[in-house]
Amino acid sequence: MKRFSQLALPYIVWAALMLILPMALIALYSFTRHGNAIISFSLTLEHYQKFFTDPDFLIVLGRSLWIALETTAICLLLGYPAAYFISRSSEKMQNILVLCITLPTWINMLVRTYAWIGLLSEGGLIAQILGFFGIQDAELLYTEGAVLLGMVYNFLPFMILQINTSLCKMDHSLLEASADLGARPASTFRRVTLPLSLPGVINGITLVFLPAVSSFFIPKLLGGGQYFLIGNLIENQFITVGEWNFGSAISMIMAVIMMLMMMAVRKVENRNRGGKEE
Amino acid sequence: MKQSKRIFGKVLMGLLVVFFYLPILYMIVFSFNEGKSLTAFSGFSLRWYQHMLESRDMMQALYTTFSVALLATAISTVVGTISAIGLSKSRRIVRDVMAQVNNLPLMNPEIVTAIGFMLLFITFQVEKGYITMLLAHIAFCIPYVMLSVMPKIRSLDPNLADAAMDLGATPWQALTKVIVPQIAPGIVSGALIAFTMSIDDFIISYFVTGGGVKNLSIMVYTMSKRVNPSINAISTLVVVIITVLLLLINLLPLLAAKRQKKAEIGHRRWIAPVAIALVLAITVGFFSLQKGNERYLPFEGETLYFYTWGEYTGENILSDFEELTGATVIMETFDSNEQMYIKVANGASYDILVPSDYMIERLIQEDLIQKLDRSQITCLDHISDHLKGLPYDPNNEYSVPYFCGMVGIVYDTTKVDFKDLERDGYNIFLNPKYRGDIYLYDSERDSFMMALKALGYSMNTENQDEINRAYEWLLSCVRTMEPEIVTDEIIDNMAQARKALGLIYSGDATYIMSENEDMGFYLPESGTNQWSDGMVIPKNAKNPELAHAFINFAASYDGAYDNSSYVGYTATNEQVFQDLYGPGGDFEGINAYEYRTTNPNDEVFTYNEEIRKILSNLWSKVKIAASNAG
Repeated sequence: MKRFSQLALPYIVWAALMLILPMALIALYSFTRHGNAIISFSLTLEHYQKFFTDPDFLIVLGRSLWIALETTAICLLLGYPAAYFISRSSEKMQNILVLCITLPTWINMLVRTYAWIGLLSEGGLIAQILGFFGIQDAELLYTEGAVLLGMVYNFLPFMILQINTSLCKMDHSLLEASADLGARPASTFRRVTLPLSLPGVINGITLVFLPAVSSFFIPKLLGGGQYFLIGNLIENQFITVGEWNFGSAISMIMAVIMMLMMMAVRKVENRNRGGKEE
Repeated sequence: MKQSKRIFGKVLMGLLVVFFYLPILYMIVFSFNEGKSLTAFSGFSLRWYQHMLESRDMMQALYTTFSVALLATAISTVVGTISAIGLSKSRRIVRDVMAQVNNLPLMNPEIVTAIGFMLLFITFQVEKGYITMLLAHIAFCIPYVMLSVMPKIRSLDPNLADAAMDLGATPWQALTKVIVPQIAPGIVSGALIAFTMSIDDFIISYFVTGGGVKNLSIMVYTMSKRVNPSINAISTLVVVIITVLLLLINLLPLLAAKRQKKAEIGHRRWIAPVAIALVLAITVGFFSLQKGNERYLPFEGETLYFYTWGEYTGENILSDFEELTGATVIMETFDSNEQMYIKVANGASYDILVPSDYMIERLIQEDLIQKLDRSQITCLDHISDHLKGLPYDPNNEYSVPYFCGMVGIVYDTTKVDFKDLERDGYNIFLNPKYRGDIYLYDSERDSFMMALKALGYSMNTENQDEINRAYEWLLSCVRTMEPEIVTDEIIDNMAQARKALGLIYSGDATYIMSENEDMGFYLPESGTNQWSDGMVIPKNAKNPELAHAFINFAASYDGAYDNSSYVGYTATNEQVFQDLYGPGGDFEGINAYEYRTTNPNDEVFTYNEEIRKILSNLWSKVKIAASNAG
């Protein structure tokens, strides 16, 4: 039986090479100067200093976090009722609705985002509909609103599916029990359904927030050339400016921020679970 | 009360479904549009499908997408399952550490993972291309497979394998006959997740690919700057393939269940993946069937890696060259000289590059390109005299001019007062009358050229004060004028008169003016950048001989005519220039097509690494300032 454990050996080597080493390289680049020859190796904090002392970079970081937060909030506000509705439908209807929501996520994100360009551009369908309601010449494409829309569009399905999964897993007799014991629907929802669906909510938040912060093609396609989020900043450093060390430092900063946020979220989740079960 | 909640739910669901499907539907409808517009439907046509089928680039991208996804899924499923079984029998500490390691790609922002892979491949000098893309996909898919297999293994009786072996099974049999069937549902869902992640991936693929290999996402990203309804056609094709796959996955188990009602769960679950594999195998087989014809061809079976600007080749030049020589041309495109330089300087290998003047100078200085073998170059005689022996390559030892032109102002004659242009020159970009109505071009060189010329300096200045003043000029422009900073998007947008003014390359202006009569092109008296892009052969080219053949072909009458008439940039072949600009030519009377040689303020860029670094950093700050001003 023990010999099966050897099956994991190749993967341990692979993971060291393909998962750990890349992260170590980013860290290494972020603390060294351009040229990165092993001989002229010297550690420096200048890239981090550059980032944190320049208000322009901090504004970009702040905006990325803010728009990701907005995206997550909107996805939660739309996604929770939708998931709730789905979980209350008949089983057949549930399957159809889940399929309806899953299908678009199978189609390439870039392709779906590209489709919005036509819809939002001047004289496009959305502008025509707005025009019908008397809103003329609204600038839609290449605005922050367009970026937000693109993000919600791309990430909302994750939220719905996650919440729906945890709502469906829930034992329905708990709801009956709650009602039998005299709880009104509102308080059943607040005290039974909501806490039980929290793991789904947290997974959903993770799956929305994480890609929203680092996305760079949605801002580029829908926000236009001068719309910068932190992902664009990193792409820019690697693809056009060529300052890989600075780019690596920004990546590290982002990775650390995300890690801290995820830890905070997990903590909330754990405390919640601990309170309920023990 | 309850009723109203249901209605609210239904309305919400209805709106969401519309929200999710409207863009997809819109895309499908416009893939059948006769015209090029993405907003006005002018009639039914299949022309974009034809365009798509004829474009090897697109077919190749589709093939890459599906083949990488299939291979990555298959490999990561097998490896992930085996490793998960192995890990479950390992010591606890190993298991915990590996769980954390596997979390790296799941919990890190994708762009960080992507950059990690890129640095890895570059550090170990693995040439970026199909293999690196596949490796990266396998690397980020395995954790998903393990994540979905692990819980199933944990729920197994730990003595199961021992029992099987006590009964005489070999370890291999115990594994394949006992354990794997038990955890099959986990494996299948793991494989499905891996497939979804791989087929949809953009960010990681974008950073680890090279050598012209691109998947669908990368193609859309690089092509999306200009309206190209073929993207809608190929997207519709993908929608159809995916829908059929999903229907199969969801319907086949139902059908199978009907046929054999008592079938065990593990059994019917296998049908879906088999069906997927079948459909995909047919798709892949279909694409690999496209093979060439037979004839004597000097470069039969060889490959030319051609790295050039986006939208910079004629419709037929590549296929004509392939037909003539039997070689295959793999084209990859860049947006800026700097982007090209970073790739080449980091070891990416191409046979031909098309950099601009100052970049050629830099590549020569850094010993990245090779001298042309003049005995193999037969085309120099056809090149216009004023484009030969330019300062960056005085004897044309390294380069043959490809296109040339100026940088100027494209303007809507119905919106812009010509007097303003004449009076202000480039300072029209600071004229509040046109606030919110201008485009800047996302190029550090040309933006600083505009600012320096507006202030009356040389665009090759090395004076820090002058550069700082130009930087201030650009800052005040982005802070007060609400410009949009674009690259190729400007072409379609100005052709549709979306804004009043824009800084533009003359060749793009030529195209715009031939599409829309209201557009004009103005070269300020304070001077401009006379640029030319040349074909060069990098030091690490794999096939210099084929590269020479291509240079000759591209500079010949046929090649240059096809390029110039299609793209709109000024031909460097004198005869082609005369024919296109002269009476009856495609660009007769379009001033943007002519190369101005009479203004003493016009200059050619020279290369200075110090200055480049300064400008590059300042320009990236201008862009961030623009972003923060909006």
